[in-house]
Order: sequence, then C-alpha cells, then structure tokens
Amino acid sequence: MSDHLKLHDEGDEQITNGLRQLYAAPSGDAYWRDLEARILSRLTEPEVIAWWDELDRWVRPALVAAAILLFATGVAMIRSYQAERESAYEAMLTPTSLPVETAVRPMRHGPDAAFRFLMSKPRQ
Amino acid sequence: MATAISFQPQWTLPMPKDAANGVSERDHVIAAQKGSEPAFAELVRLHHRRAYAVARAIVLSHEDAEDAVQDGFLHAFRALDRFHSDQPFGAWLNRIVANAALDLVRRRKVRDADELPETVAMPFRDPGEADELRTKLTKALTHLSDRQRSVIVLHDVEGFTHGEIGSMLGIPEGTARSDLHHARAALRRLLKDVRSNS
Repeated sequence: MSDHLKLHDEGDEQITNGLRQLYAAPSGDAYWRDLEARILSRLTEPEVIAWWDELDRWVRPALVAAAILLFATGVAMIRSYQAERESAYEAMLTPTSLPVETAVRPMRHGPDAAFRFLMSKPRQ
Repeated sequence: MATAISFQPQWTLPMPKDAANGVSERDHVIAAQKGSEPAFAELVRLHHRRAYAVARAIVLSHEDAEDAVQDGFLHAFRALDRFHSDQPFGAWLNRIVANAALDLVRRRKVRDADELPETVAMPFRDPGEADELRTKLTKALTHLSDRQRSVIVLHDVEGFTHGEIGSMLGIPEGTARSDLHHARAALRRLLKDVRSNS
C-alpha cells in the first residue's frame, strides 16, 4: 500500500494533475495504429548500424580491455621489481666461490696461552 | 486530509486474454518465439501504449519516446528467444524499453548538449493552452535530475511501484524511493506560490 500514490493535500494533487497533463499520451486510435505500424515496419527493416553506434557499442568493452591491460602491466611490473629485489638480496647472502683468506694469528706462548687454554675448556 | 489513489499497472494484472478468440498473452509470446509475426504484432498492440508511457517518463520529448518505443520493441523482438514465457511479458518489455530510453537520453546528451535545457519535459501538443501551473511545472521539472523526473512521473503519473521503477531504471528500490521523496520536495518548494493560491 505504501507504494500507491498518496496525495497529501490539494497542492500536491494539483502538481500531480499538472504532471499527468504534461505527460499525457496522445489520444486517438489513429495515432496508436500508426505507431503500431511503424513498430512493425521497423522489425522487417534490414539492420543498419551507423558507425557511431558501432563505435558506441565498442567503447565499453574497449575501456574494460584497457583497464585489464593496465592492471596486468602493473602487476607484471611489481612482480618483476620484487623478483629483482629478491635476487639482489639472495646474491648478498650467498657465499661467493672466491677463496677466503683467513687471518692466522701466530700462536703465542707463555703464561697467557696456558690461561686461555684453561678458560676455553667447558665447565663440568 | 490525506487521500490515497491507487493505480494498478496494466501488466501486473493476470495475463490478458484476447476476448475475440480466447488466446492468452502467453500463447502470443510462445507463438512469437516460434517465429509468428502476427503473434508479435498482437503483443505490440497489447503493450505499445504502456511502453510509450514508460519511455515518455524517461526521455525529454514525445518524438524521443516514439523512437525509444520502436527501439525497445525491436530489441525485444530480437531477444525473444531468451525470454521465459512463464514470466510477465510486460515487465520484461518495459525494462527493455526503459533501457532503450535511457540509451537515447545518453546519446542525446552527448550530441545535443546545448539544446537539452530548452526541451525538458515539453508537452508534445497544445502549446497554446499552457496555463500558469503547466508553465511553472515545466520550468520546475528542469530543476530535477533526469532520474528524479523519471521516477516521479513513473510513480505519480503511471502508477508503477518503487520496485518496478528500480527494476526498469536499474537502481535499487530504496534509491527510487529516495528520488521520489526528493523530487516531490523539490516540486513543492519550487511551486509553493502556485500551491498556496489553490
């Protein structure tokens, strides 16, 4: 019931009546017979597509395709940047095959050496 | 005092029967789907007035409404095999006609951007008998958005429900309800002096 037209006062009714007059459909059966005939004749006409209609029809799919392409390009760029970063990071962590020179300190003898030997022994 | 007037849209009634030979609308639809042109012609005869009303509420002129009705029937004819004959044909057709009308409005906006404000809601006949209300109403309607204008005409003039309007215009029912509220409020405000004289 809430969907039905509710006229709150005479002013609203006046506006609604004004709208009805303004949007009144043509009266007279001749007009409707003519429109019916025009509709039916359109059905039998061969389809002629104007170039701008054809263009209009392709605008939306083209925009969607462009957006998908842009998105795919963006994703590919991000992925390639990430892969580059990862490989650079891994390269830093991977030990190189170059020979590593270890510094060998000469063994020191004397009271210090004995003390170090004792300190390095794990406690029981 | 509040008065309630209810409109029963033609196509929410049970499937109309052809009084002359007892053929129902569904029979016409099925026959048309099988390629019968006379059956489709019968569907055109049954629905073209309502289709015109739907289109007229959306477009800006009588001529555009005629074009939208013809486009709508043409699209419906081509898409007839996709229509389920157990559904109301009128509701399906009205959606197609509304889409054709909306499409026409979009194309007109692109092509005739400068001419539009002058042609908004112009009556197609009787230009000489324009009274004060009609003139002011025509002017007031130009202050509404296209969608608000369509919603108020489809609801208050043609008697469609919010749900039906939403379905035709491709908007949620709540949006149709809100558009109607705002359109009425705007017209009340713009036509305050006319209303106070009544």
